Amino acid sequence: MSAPVVVLAPEIILVVVAATIYVAGAFARSRDVWVWLALGGFLSAAVAMVMLSVGAVGGPISVDGMAIYVRWLALGLGALLLLTSSRPSGQGSTPEYVGSLLLTVAGVMLAAASRELVLLFMGLELVSIPTYILLYLGRRDAASQEAATKYFFLSILASAMLLYGFSFLYGATGSTHLAVIGQRLASPEAGSLWLARAAMVLVLAGLGFKIAAVPFHFYAPDVYQGTTHANAALLSVVPKLAGFVALVRVVDVALEGARDDAWPIVLILAVATMTVGNAMALWQQNLRRLLAYSSIAHAGYMLIALAVSMATGFGTTTAWEGMAALWLYLLVYAVATVGTFAALSCLGRGAESVQSVEELTGLPWTGGRVRPVLAWTIGLFMFSLAGIPPLAGFWGKLAVFASALSVEGPVEGIRGWFIVLAVVGVLNAAVAAAYYLRIIGVMFFRRPLGVPRVREGTGGALAVAIFSAVLAVAIGLGPGIWFRDARRAAIIEAEAPRPLPMAAGGVQTADAGLRPGGEVGQGVGFGSGL
Amino acid sequence: MQVSVLPVFLLMAFVAGLAVVLILVGYVFNPGRPTPVKRMPYESGMDPLHDTRRRFDVRYYLVAIAFLVFDVEILFLYPWAVVFRSGPAWVFGGGMVFLALLALGFIYDWKKGIFHWR
Repeated sequence: MSAPVVVLAPEIILVVVAATIYVAGAFARSRDVWVWLALGGFLSAAVAMVMLSVGAVGGPISVDGMAIYVRWLALGLGALLLLTSSRPSGQGSTPEYVGSLLLTVAGVMLAAASRELVLLFMGLELVSIPTYILLYLGRRDAASQEAATKYFFLSILASAMLLYGFSFLYGATGSTHLAVIGQRLASPEAGSLWLARAAMVLVLAGLGFKIAAVPFHFYAPDVYQGTTHANAALLSVVPKLAGFVALVRVVDVALEGARDDAWPIVLILAVATMTVGNAMALWQQNLRRLLAYSSIAHAGYMLIALAVSMATGFGTTTAWEGMAALWLYLLVYAVATVGTFAALSCLGRGAESVQSVEELTGLPWTGGRVRPVLAWTIGLFMFSLAGIPPLAGFWGKLAVFASALSVEGPVEGIRGWFIVLAVVGVLNAAVAAAYYLRIIGVMFFRRPLGVPRVREGTGGALAVAIFSAVLAVAIGLGPGIWFRDARRAAIIEAEAPRPLPMAAGGVQTADAGLRPGGEVGQGVGFGSGL
Repeated sequence: MQVSVLPVFLLMAFVAGLAVVLILVGYVFNPGRPTPVKRMPYESGMDPLHDTRRRFDVRYYLVAIAFLVFDVEILFLYPWAVVFRSGPAWVFGGGMVFLALLALGFIYDWKKGIFHWR
């Protein structure tokens, strides 16, 4: 077992680089150096990930298959987002922007590796709080400030609900370690599970905000519309990544005993999220608003996979596994979404950016070298998001729907529900194709109305768009290795650290880690006893 | 293990019920003879100067945030100060890392000029 300092080295590297950039940015006036420094930080974190691929078993931190997958995904997306926003329009706030981006990535990675309620919440807040700053720094006009304020207040409300749910879990079991919580809720002396059920509902509500599931989605269209393309890219992938990893850790693993109550709720959320997202996206004229509803709808497809994994359990050896489908879908969705926003952020002038779908009219035929490339990449991403076969999005949708069709749970009649769910999902995918193809139709099959300006110095964003397009095609043509990786991500460590004695007073004391000698050898102060 | 939470809910019900009862008693039994002096927020205090809703200078918030940082710092330092001698070396080191991060934030604040009251 390695000490947490060693296991968390990638996160620590990111935080140290972020702190350096913040403080040094207050002294020096340079601009590009911060982006390069942050890229160096991502690279060193990746090196640390490779060198320290040993798992720590039992403590508050676990580097299981899911943690490794999500941490790599977060690092890669972080680098892409950094290049997309390499020219934030806020004057002189580059260090703050870059530092906050590093912190959000560190937060996702921390949340992915934590098996402990307090650490998990800290990871999630490390995602949320820098996101407020990023939204504020994106652009300095009234709409952007309104978006930042809306996101701030609603996100705080969601965090409060999540924390309230965590407090119920602690009250019900006397432990903050997720595996211990699961163990105690499953034990016969746990009694009724009503506290755990209340906790589950609150956690689903709190994390539902992060993934933009439907009753908690209202912020998304307004915030996406108000902020920049780079920030919209961040909002559409990073909180979703953190939210889904936390959902899996808490609802799937710790609340295993309440699973029969959980999957119907998630199933209903999935249907509502897909349907509302797609139905609303059909009517949107604003590009970022449309993509916001599209990201809501995609959260719905991912919730299908989550419901499947809750109904059948994870780590099974069936061909179409819910958890593996979830992680594969998140990857292909993130590639296409970040690519789309990166391509869109290349257009515009000064603080202005492309707003409506109409502004893309006839984009490939407007001449120049960059505009046709942008149009073709956006077209490719739209096809991928719609799930057209030779591209990455198809495999994501196939995995999700096939996993729903292959459910054979222990509960009577469960199979019928998931067949209905898969049918609703496929119908939704067909509806979604309408608005993705509308964008393609507007771009390729109409005469140009005007010539949109290509922003100066957006080489980074253009590179991200092209790289994402290549990746979308590569995943589409050779999905084997990506399926294999996603299946590895479904390996989740769920055992309790070691048999814990039940304390007489109900709640255990926290001094276990501070005792000199044996316990301290793990280097884990918090969490080993609590 | 199931910790009994019934007393907590009993207390919550009692508090909510008491609040409702007190307001109702005052509402039902008051004689209802208001005078301008009685209707002031502080009946026997200073005369209010103006409405309470007015704009604050944004710098108050910066000072409030800086205050909060050091407030929370003290909150963490008290338990740390109690245990750091009896624990292993990393307890001391952890506290120092925490202080170093706060110091970085302080340097940042200082350099950004939030302590200048222009």
